[in-house]
Amino acid sequence: MKSKFIAIAGGLLAATALAGAPAKADVKIGLIGGVSGPIAAMAPSMVSAAQLAFQQVNEQGGILDGEKLVGVVGDSACNPQGGTDAATKAVNIEGVSAIVGPHCSGAVLAAAGSVTIPAGITVVTPSGTSPEITGLDDKDTVFRTVPSDDYQGRALARTLKEKGYDKVAVAYINNDYGTGLANAFKAEFEAQGGEIAGFAAHEDGKASYRSNLAELSSGGADTLVIFDYGDGTGLTILRQALENGFFEKFVGGDGMKSDAPINELGAENLATFVASSPVGEKSDSLDIFNDAYKAAGGDPDAIFVTTSYDAAFLLALAVEKAGGDKAGVSAALREISNGEGEAILPGEWEKAKKLIAAGTAIDYKGAAGDHNFDAAGDVPGTYALFEVGADGFEVMVEMK
Amino acid sequence: MGFLELINFYVIPGVVLGSIYALGAVGITLVFAILRYAHLAHGDLATLGAFLALAVVTALGLPPLVALPVAMIGTAAVAVGIDKAFYEHLRERPKIVTVMASLGIALMVRSVVQVVWGVDSESYVRGIVRPENYFGLRIKDREIYTLVFMIGLVGVLQLFLAKSKWGKAMRAMSDNPNLALLSGIDNKKVVMLTWIIAGGLCAAAGVFLGINTELKSMMGWHMLLPMFAAAILGGVGRVEGAVLGGLIVGIAEELSVLVLPSEYKAAMAFVILLFMLLVRPTGLLRGKVL
Amino acid sequence: MELIGLANYALFMGIFIGIYALLALGLNIQWGFAGLFNAGIAGFFAVGAYTSAILTSPAADGRLGGFELPFFVGWFGAMVAAALIAWPIGKICLRFRSDYLAIATIGVAEIIRLVIKSEEVLTNGARGITNIPRPFGDLPYVQSQLAYLAIVVAVLIVAYLMVQRQFNAPWGRMMRAIRDNELAARAMGKNVEYRRLEAFIFGAALMGLGGALFAHFNRSITPEAIDPMVATFLVWIMLILGGSGNNKGAILGAAVVWIIWSVSEIATDQLPHEYAVKAKYIRLFLIGLMLQLVLRFRPEGILPEPLRGDTRADDGAVK
Repeated sequence: MKSKFIAIAGGLLAATALAGAPAKADVKIGLIGGVSGPIAAMAPSMVSAAQLAFQQVNEQGGILDGEKLVGVVGDSACNPQGGTDAATKAVNIEGVSAIVGPHCSGAVLAAAGSVTIPAGITVVTPSGTSPEITGLDDKDTVFRTVPSDDYQGRALARTLKEKGYDKVAVAYINNDYGTGLANAFKAEFEAQGGEIAGFAAHEDGKASYRSNLAELSSGGADTLVIFDYGDGTGLTILRQALENGFFEKFVGGDGMKSDAPINELGAENLATFVASSPVGEKSDSLDIFNDAYKAAGGDPDAIFVTTSYDAAFLLALAVEKAGGDKAGVSAALREISNGEGEAILPGEWEKAKKLIAAGTAIDYKGAAGDHNFDAAGDVPGTYALFEVGADGFEVMVEMK
Repeated sequence: MGFLELINFYVIPGVVLGSIYALGAVGITLVFAILRYAHLAHGDLATLGAFLALAVVTALGLPPLVALPVAMIGTAAVAVGIDKAFYEHLRERPKIVTVMASLGIALMVRSVVQVVWGVDSESYVRGIVRPENYFGLRIKDREIYTLVFMIGLVGVLQLFLAKSKWGKAMRAMSDNPNLALLSGIDNKKVVMLTWIIAGGLCAAAGVFLGINTELKSMMGWHMLLPMFAAAILGGVGRVEGAVLGGLIVGIAEELSVLVLPSEYKAAMAFVILLFMLLVRPTGLLRGKVL
Repeated sequence: MELIGLANYALFMGIFIGIYALLALGLNIQWGFAGLFNAGIAGFFAVGAYTSAILTSPAADGRLGGFELPFFVGWFGAMVAAALIAWPIGKICLRFRSDYLAIATIGVAEIIRLVIKSEEVLTNGARGITNIPRPFGDLPYVQSQLAYLAIVVAVLIVAYLMVQRQFNAPWGRMMRAIRDNELAARAMGKNVEYRRLEAFIFGAALMGLGGALFAHFNRSITPEAIDPMVATFLVWIMLILGGSGNNKGAILGAAVVWIIWSVSEIATDQLPHEYAVKAKYIRLFLIGLMLQLVLRFRPEGILPEPLRGDTRADDGAVK
């Protein structure tokens, strides 16, 4: 029996060696995400959006010396152990030049702390929204294309106050996404003079939240703000609130802007539901991305696909600009997205390649925003409030 | 807060949830009594049952209640199969080994569900259903069905245990396995029967949870602790105890939001469990202490 | 894939194997020596990780902390905290029979996880604690991993030697006597409850230490690390596979299972994307299946418990 296990372990190590053998000439970028685990429902579209970017690169001349750009998928399982494991494999076995992801903030912090910062590999996370990432001592290698929860929470608070929502109740999921958004929202909403008539966290995955909702509505608010995932518990809460008539108006964070509520609950029941989401300032970028992604069979409304695409495309541009030098990727990343230079829209790889070769400065304008990274590698982001229209979500108003 | 509000938003959801827990807890208490170990894969069997029903609903377009018997039979078959393939060989070993194995089985069943049906949230029917108003009580049809079916299924089970030959054999095995063997009861058949019943009830628990909320691959695992709390609260081996325990745990969970911060709702079942084990391990209806 | 990449990966695996080996050693004290089914490993792991994090990280708004003590103080504190938590839990739960203990410890780990996620003043809630100092963390990649591996191995050796010494000592024999025949042990006047509690606390302390080492390696700790799958179940299968009751077995089991777990992902990642995702779940299925097969065909594990109960050289006179 002992020998069997040694044989299995040896066989797997051999498989690893084989894995590394082909594709020497390819340039690899890691795609680490929560493929299994709590956000497993959201991960596949995020990965496919990033793969779309790589596909466009390969179709339009390839990267560096016409080499193929390959996205290497790794599974963080949305926890630190998986994140570090996947990052280590990506950096050491696959030899990636950069990483898109991980998706969950906890995995980002762990992977950065243990692997990518010491190894000097640049990381751009499309969905890690925890404010803790801002404070990482990262030698300028950790970036994100999604704004920190702080920004979105505050922007949503201001917009709601402007639109006349004075008294709201807040239900948020008890994880770093929900707590971050909820706290930022509360601080800004109260600072603007609004009243929070109920503020409660809830755990994921319970069968009934009616008692939670009853508690929240006892404060007298007619609007419920939900910071949760539309693919998960947020759907349950929305459904039970609608069915029992708890609130009249509903507001969601970007996690709630997903197809699942529309599909499961029906657009006719969601007339008073609005959700915020990061968008690009120039809607051109967003339109281009939406068309391309739809053509490739994806759903452009899926959560975080715009940020994933942008992260992937940005890193491809950065690798090209750095000329294949892994250590230079982070500096290159700043150069190609700092607000100065010729505008590059999603999918314009060929144009960008020519400009980089000619030494001209370029500035990527992404589907999820301009991504002019600040000193900590964060982006301020622009948001819009979406309502449910005849054909999915439609922009209602821009958020400040 | 008004009395009606208390009933509508706390007690009724608690009763519905409690019925679902009761269905699972009865299975757990039977396995505890007859096979004498804690079966940690019970929750994930419920998940399997719910998704089997989903397969029937999507394939044939039937309502979930019609798919329920199919799911029950399917899950029962899987339960018997698991017993034959895995647990049977561990029968001579200390029971704790089987408990460990059941933890692994839980993982296996869950991953099968994840491979076959994916990890997205599903539901049986689209759209929302507003509750009906019966003299100020707001109850949905599906909630009434849940309670009625639970009472019906458990009632049938009680009749079976009390009157039929095999039911009496099961009770004999539960009370004294050696004596039962001596009096000619076929051990293996009783065990198989136990798994059929437990599997079927698990499926019912899963289907009703899916009817009342959504189907997710972790739905059963999250129910495991409350179901165990219910079984132990009622008294191990007592079917009525499991029902009573289930209802109490369900209502307590919902009422706990009034006193505890809402994120600790999930801890309520555990507190009940611990409390019972410390204060009165035989449970409310004086079951066994194994 | 260059040689240095493979070397780095091996170093990384070594560190993780070391940490998991500590957890498995702790579980071995609880299960292998004393027969206690602790299904809440994740909870003690978390308590250790967070205690060390709170003691050693710089100050942050709204959270208890800012002590910035040296890392070994943090690690020692982690062991003490895990032991302190284990004490009341043990006093309450150890009297239950083993499957009740399993359920109770599942619940305990769940409660610990909820508290960590919700009490922001203590743990920064769901956001976790960052900027945890890492010994030799400022060296270049390879060297810093090498240094950390050396530290982990040193800690593991010390723990192993201590546990092994206890195993061979009268204390170890008494523990096994209690495990195998409680009535007889009690009849001989041994204080069974107290001994069980001792074993539970020592095991928990080692688990806390493992948690601390993990947190310092990643320089951060967040509540998702307290996942029952990764933190609890994996350690169980490591111990069962390696050989419960055998300290070397615990370490061997950690190595074998972690290698299989980590490397199998490389194999599945080579598949086309849709299958790669499904393959992740098939991996979980196979891990569960592996447990069943080990329990059935080789329940004593790769390295069985030494028969006579100690590993001192047999002087041959007995046979």
